[in-house]
Amino acid sequence: MKRICLFVASFTVGAGFANEDPASEAFFESRIRPVLVKHCYECHSVEAGKSKGGLRLDTRQSTRTGGDTGAAVIPNDAEDSLLLSAIQHVDPDLEMPPKEPKLADEVIHDFTRWIEAGAFDPREANPATNGESLSSRLDHWSYQPLTRPNVPASTSDWPETSVDQFISSRLKNHGLKPSGDAEERTFIRRLYFDLIGLPPSVEQAESFTFDQLEKTVDDLLASEGFGVRWGRHWLDVVRFGESNGREANIVYPHAWRYRDYVINAVNADVPFDRFLVEQIAGDLLPYEKEEERARLLIATGFLAIGAKGLNNQDKHQFAADLVDEQLDAFGRAFLASSLACARCHDHKADPVSMEDYYSLIGIFRSTKAYYGTWIDSENNNGGELIKLPDLPGQLTPGKSIPKKKVEEMKAQLAELNELERKGKEKAAQMMESGKSSEMSQKAKRENFNEALREALRIYWTRGGLTGKLEAVDDDGNPIPLCMGAKERDEMVNSPVYYRGDLKNPGDEVTRGVPGLFGMDPVPPANENSSGRLELALWVTDSDNPLTARVMANRIWSHLFGTGLVRTTDNFGLTGEEPSHPELLDYLAAQFQEKGWSVKQLIKEIVMSRAYRQSSAYREEAFLKDPDNRLIWRVNKRRLDAEVIRDAMLSVSGEIDLSPRPGSLAADVKSHSVSIIGFDKSVPTDLDGSTYRSVYLPVFRENLPDVLNLFDFAEPSLVVGSRDETNVPLQALYLMNSEFVTKRSKAFADRLIEETFERKDRIRLAFQICFNRDPCKKEVRMVEEYFSDSSGADESTITARFCQALLSSAEFRIAD
Amino acid sequence: MNPSLFPRRDFLQSSTLGLGWLAFSAMANGPSRAVASGRHFPARAKRVIFLSMKGGPSHVDLLDYKPDLIKANGKSAEKFGGAALVGPVHPFSQRGKSGLWMSDLMPHLAKHADDLCIINSMHTDVPNHSPAFVQMHTGSFQFVRPSLGAWTVYGLGTENENLPGFVTLNPPADNGGARNYGSAFLPSITQGTRVGGSQLPALYAAFLKKEQTPGPPMKNISNPSMTKAEQRRQLDLIQGLNREMLRKHKVQPQIEGMIESFELAFRMQSEVPDTLDISKEPESTRKLYGIGEGKDAFARQCLLARRMAEAGVRFIEISSPMGWDHHSLIKEGLSKNCGETDRPIAALLTDLKLRGMLDDTLVVWAGEFGRTPYMQGINGRDHNHKGFSLWMAGGGVKGGMNYGATDEIGYKAVENPMHIHDWHATMLHLLGINHKQLTYNYGGRDFRLTETSGEVAREILA
Repeated sequence: MKRICLFVASFTVGAGFANEDPASEAFFESRIRPVLVKHCYECHSVEAGKSKGGLRLDTRQSTRTGGDTGAAVIPNDAEDSLLLSAIQHVDPDLEMPPKEPKLADEVIHDFTRWIEAGAFDPREANPATNGESLSSRLDHWSYQPLTRPNVPASTSDWPETSVDQFISSRLKNHGLKPSGDAEERTFIRRLYFDLIGLPPSVEQAESFTFDQLEKTVDDLLASEGFGVRWGRHWLDVVRFGESNGREANIVYPHAWRYRDYVINAVNADVPFDRFLVEQIAGDLLPYEKEEERARLLIATGFLAIGAKGLNNQDKHQFAADLVDEQLDAFGRAFLASSLACARCHDHKADPVSMEDYYSLIGIFRSTKAYYGTWIDSENNNGGELIKLPDLPGQLTPGKSIPKKKVEEMKAQLAELNELERKGKEKAAQMMESGKSSEMSQKAKRENFNEALREALRIYWTRGGLTGKLEAVDDDGNPIPLCMGAKERDEMVNSPVYYRGDLKNPGDEVTRGVPGLFGMDPVPPANENSSGRLELALWVTDSDNPLTARVMANRIWSHLFGTGLVRTTDNFGLTGEEPSHPELLDYLAAQFQEKGWSVKQLIKEIVMSRAYRQSSAYREEAFLKDPDNRLIWRVNKRRLDAEVIRDAMLSVSGEIDLSPRPGSLAADVKSHSVSIIGFDKSVPTDLDGSTYRSVYLPVFRENLPDVLNLFDFAEPSLVVGSRDETNVPLQALYLMNSEFVTKRSKAFADRLIEETFERKDRIRLAFQICFNRDPCKKEVRMVEEYFSDSSGADESTITARFCQALLSSAEFRIAD
Repeated sequence: MNPSLFPRRDFLQSSTLGLGWLAFSAMANGPSRAVASGRHFPARAKRVIFLSMKGGPSHVDLLDYKPDLIKANGKSAEKFGGAALVGPVHPFSQRGKSGLWMSDLMPHLAKHADDLCIINSMHTDVPNHSPAFVQMHTGSFQFVRPSLGAWTVYGLGTENENLPGFVTLNPPADNGGARNYGSAFLPSITQGTRVGGSQLPALYAAFLKKEQTPGPPMKNISNPSMTKAEQRRQLDLIQGLNREMLRKHKVQPQIEGMIESFELAFRMQSEVPDTLDISKEPESTRKLYGIGEGKDAFARQCLLARRMAEAGVRFIEISSPMGWDHHSLIKEGLSKNCGETDRPIAALLTDLKLRGMLDDTLVVWAGEFGRTPYMQGINGRDHNHKGFSLWMAGGGVKGGMNYGATDEIGYKAVENPMHIHDWHATMLHLLGINHKQLTYNYGGRDFRLTETSGEVAREILA
């Protein structure tokens, strides 16, 4: 930068000699324009996307028209030209450039001469960048108020619900017909997978008929499995993880409490608006009982569980990145908006300015994130945890420490503090003696290195001691802790940081909710509040055009495999438009009107005939709409990683449907994810349990094999729609992994125990896996397989047969 | 049903033995394919190694030498709202017999100057990472389309039926994620197989005397409880069930993909462990790449790429572990990135050459766009999709040349502009494929990588 400034300066001065006529173009180009560019354009130009005080100084026209306070330049009238008085610092309220020393007298003199000579200015408006303003982007569909569209009239007897009428009407417009109903057996599997993530039992599938649809749906919505399945969808969106990820990857041993909070809230059908408020500002909500207080504190875990660069040496940068990550997750998860793109410049596509960003950032900077982890050689940014109220029957899975050891640790801590004090004294002495030249350079350096090593040793050892002591009481028993967020003691506003650079602060922006997406701004309730509660209420205000649409679309996407808006996490100008805008608005409005009940909305959708359609291929429809945007059938879908695993445990009869207490992340001895692999008690596939997959540990960058291979949501990103890949590494897992081998054996044992004859076992196995009988051809294939394997004993060969079923395509596809 | 829609189905359903990869490749020669014996004309390149530099590396600092930009350093440009132009933040020098101008940040690559074809006139449609990255990989930033690697494998099959035809090492999870190595509507066997795992931090690696990355972890590569023959019998049962399902469901590409990936997986068991084990490489080779010296994640990937190329993987993509999105601190950022990538990339070229493989291996270095000639902030550059540079080497491209040019300051491609589609067309040409004839009929329409455009840059063909 220095070099460049010098260059600008020399260019200005160098060119000066020849251009003494203040009415000349050369004078303007050499004396005036460079100054405007360097000192003014940052806040007053189209390119910078700014017109502070309504003023732009990048064209002749806008310079003369001026801003809110009047014309900046009046040709031949230096005295009344505000630009000049601003740079002369005449008025203390109007000193330009802001927060910079006054411009050199020669420069001011040049401006005076220039204006007096008529203010020659060749700058025309740049048509490429002229006219486009942030507010013009508000015309975008997703920022329009929710409409309550009329349900199209039925033109056939196919539709049963309003959803169907929207679907049917668009199909008809395109000359398409919906598909017929799926078979009941097919449908019940679809419904089970979608609502609870498990296959139906043989009996459940056999007894199902469409007559009982509503009751079956109600039962599934009421079952604990619903929260497991749909809670996990939410955990994808809020980038849930049990370590901070990135280079120095430290375990979050308390993150599971937030996971359980989500599952429980989804099961309790906590109204979605309330659910969001709890996650943004649970700590600020009133409560009557301590249980409720604990629940609300845990809910704010949303703000703490994100990925973090804990090894960052620059604490200010770390803090800025932390709040940026919070805002990014907030924007994408709740509003499908990339608000955080406005950190370095006004948003390139959406109506979000840098001021908007920094006014939101002020809210998060006035909030303290409690993410735990302690300082050690990898972690330079340890955090605290929130102490939960003590509750009866509360699970505290942390490690207990013998009381004697606790005392030793406290003593050691005191000793370290003392050592540090002495070290500091010594360092001060060294600084003194260093000034004298008695010591050789080499000795000085060695002394310094020694002191540095010692200081680091103290710093890192103390981090671990403090961290471990914070998790236990005086007797060494673990105490209940959670991750989360609370108001800071001191509230702050953030300056705008040009280009997101902390070394380049601009004007301070008052924190609060800015006027985004056509809504009014909302300031914090008072000077002692961060504005977080107001932010939460703004998100869930029924006038917010995004929140209900975004969630209704997420729900649709989980049930149909594709959203009405396919870019589920981007409703901005670079996202896609909805395939059925009226249907989306209808669903979003219903959602709001029916008390933001996720269960009600799901019920409305799964009761439709649209959802009941067969997935069968129909050429005439495929040729017209290969991507099935019009929903002329239901998409076949590869099951999610968790569903594949849970289905295996389910058919093998091993599944433990109770919630796993805590998490492997709370049990591992190691602080660092990268060395977990050396802990012999931890399975290499990070699995080894029979609990539902939602309880598998979610270490960032180091996921359990089954999640990693079958397209689990990347836990550092907001993921509304997962990838769906099909690669040989998945096949290798099915063919060779310990997990699948064990399930196959248990499944075989189950078959052998339940039936005697091989042919009955074969039939039962198909019923359990696929809720259907094998066809004759399949029976023949399997029988041949058994007879070709005559060398092996019955239980071994049955297990291999079972593995074949678990590995089959049918097992992994929801039809 | 339209017989040309999914012509492979009958074969998949009737084959009782494992579906051979070569058989698939032969199948691809159906009447609607026009890929005669895989190729339309003699190929210069048999395989591709794509060095993917996410974030938008600064062409004006690395590969696009602009004396006028140096002269204009510090001047404000009206065209860019008065932002200051900035010359290269590190010096350039002329390299090789050909005298190609390259940044001094790449002294190792500079030794290969006479092998490099630097394309200076690249341009793409959008200046945002995600869409531009996806367009670089699939030709389209709007629609879900097959990736370049998938098209390549679709057109040519694999050289080694025991390995995936397309492998991608540590691809970024963002910027479009799996779309960048996806197969979209192409048979899913053409999809890139993602290989990669977490590394051990250097500190622990040293402490435990372990390698940081002993090669990507490849688990579940064998089954201790079954002989190969037993596993084959089991697999035949699985495939029998799958084919039965396919028969019932008619058109079902997902199931076809599962059938194919099981066959490939079965065959991979014999070959993959060796291919991925870089500890088998002699010390001299490891040294050439700089493995074991400081941050060597990228070096390991380069060596793995060579091993996979040698073993017959058709399309290998490796992703730079660091980003090139230098909105600030560009000078330091470029030093760091080049410091970590220059030597391994040069080593890869040297290594391929020593083995006589550079002639038929197309090595490509590219990011999704370049950066502006003007300053952003106090020490960075913004995205620039109107003009940027990449290089290619080996595989039938002319070495020691620049192709195309940007304007005098490196902002916009003006001479022989090369759109992503043109670049894709040229790469396919080098592989012996006419991009207009490599099509796939999906939903009644023929799709191709280059959509409705694409010109082969004949001047760069050796």
